[in-house]
Amino acid sequence: MKNIFFLLFAVLLSGCEYELSPWQTDAHCPGVSVEENLAKLAAFEQSIGKVDFYQVAIIGDPQQYPGSFENTIEHVNTLDDVHFILLVGDLAETGVKAEFEWMCKAMSKSNKPIISVIGNHDSLSFGKDIWLDVFGPYDFAFTYQDSRFVAYNDNKYEFDNVPDRDWLAEQAKPVNGQEWDHVIGVSHIPPWEADVGFDTHLKDSGYELTLHGHESSFDYWQWEDDLLPHYITTQNRDPGFGILNVYPGVLELDDCSRDCEKTIPRTVPKPKSLLLLVEEEEQA
Amino acid sequence: MKIQRIAILLLLTFGLAQGANAVFVDLQSGSLMGMVHASVGGTFADNHHVSAGVGYVPKLDNHEEMSMVSLRYRYQNPYQFNFSVKEKEYGISPVNFGMGVLVGSHKDLFVELPDKYPSGYYNPTAIRLVFNYQSILHLSKQTEVYFDISVLDVGLISYVREPEFFMDNYDYLGLEGITNWGFGMRHQF
Repeated sequence: MKNIFFLLFAVLLSGCEYELSPWQTDAHCPGVSVEENLAKLAAFEQSIGKVDFYQVAIIGDPQQYPGSFENTIEHVNTLDDVHFILLVGDLAETGVKAEFEWMCKAMSKSNKPIISVIGNHDSLSFGKDIWLDVFGPYDFAFTYQDSRFVAYNDNKYEFDNVPDRDWLAEQAKPVNGQEWDHVIGVSHIPPWEADVGFDTHLKDSGYELTLHGHESSFDYWQWEDDLLPHYITTQNRDPGFGILNVYPGVLELDDCSRDCEKTIPRTVPKPKSLLLLVEEEEQA
Repeated sequence: MKIQRIAILLLLTFGLAQGANAVFVDLQSGSLMGMVHASVGGTFADNHHVSAGVGYVPKLDNHEEMSMVSLRYRYQNPYQFNFSVKEKEYGISPVNFGMGVLVGSHKDLFVELPDKYPSGYYNPTAIRLVFNYQSILHLSKQTEVYFDISVLDVGLISYVREPEFFMDNYDYLGLEGITNWGFGMRHQF
């Protein structure tokens, strides 16, 4: 009995960490930063040159289900046309270090670059600090195959003065006279109805589509007044993810179950009336 | 809010001491309870221990300065084996389990949902459940030191929900991914 006890003791001691509290911020997450993954993506783009078609996997809200997230990533690894993954936030549920580390472990299984955007749940507790250390900036933009992807923080309850409209407009502008093939916005939360004029601002700035999570089910819609389409991927626990198909001058979207046996094309966004929504909220 | 918590803690501690078979003080480090966590508790029906405590973490590179309060329960298994070293008797209680409520105090954490959020938008971020295992080395009848392994609420939930993920990615049946260790000392009066 004594020997068993000492063996158990030694095993457990070597296997766990000395943690001061649930709110430590030093998450161990190698290789997941935006900077590292954009460098990987740039190297990949250079290796393949210009292509006429590629896909982007859109994964959202994997919080509390790292195993499901890992399974999705391992499946996306098998999809050759997917060039990179957009992870649209809510990796953590309560913003504690351990939750981020489990997700990072799952992300380490990916053979494709993963570009991550902060979600509202990631911002809880000391998640904002962890995010800056592990992933990097809340707002950033990058170019791939002549298309502009602009990732922005729109977690309004957790941050002041977001999203940054001027910055968003600036990122969509042509650089050195080069027009973008597509301009695509990426954030955790779809445009808020209370953020008056934001959607029109995106549209007027040249955005063609925005991609999101947060709502825990697939959706595709646009406000009737500006017709800028918004695609929302489901929560990953279902499991499921979205696929963005990018062609020169054309964007197409698919809802995809984990194994992608059933793919539902999204061709026409549902129209939504802002006026009707406000009336419904007032009645409620 | 801080004053209310301390007042509740003092009342609990006083109540515990009144009804307990024995009263103990406990000083712990790590295992999610702070750099230092001081508790006062009582022993009930021999094997049941309840304590209330206050913890502290100074400002560090990986931690904000923070105080915390706790209310904990521990079941101490009566099995104990004894041994002697240089004619001094020691005992080891290898398997003891407990759980506690830990409440952190910091401006970035909340017990009550701040007004800016819609009702029910988040659960409190300052309140956490901690489950723990202890191995205790009895130095004398009054004094003992212990090794503590703890699991945070989300760790237990995630492990139960998706054990394969943890078993595939972490050692020791996946427990490496969810456990934390600490140590402490108790003295009984």
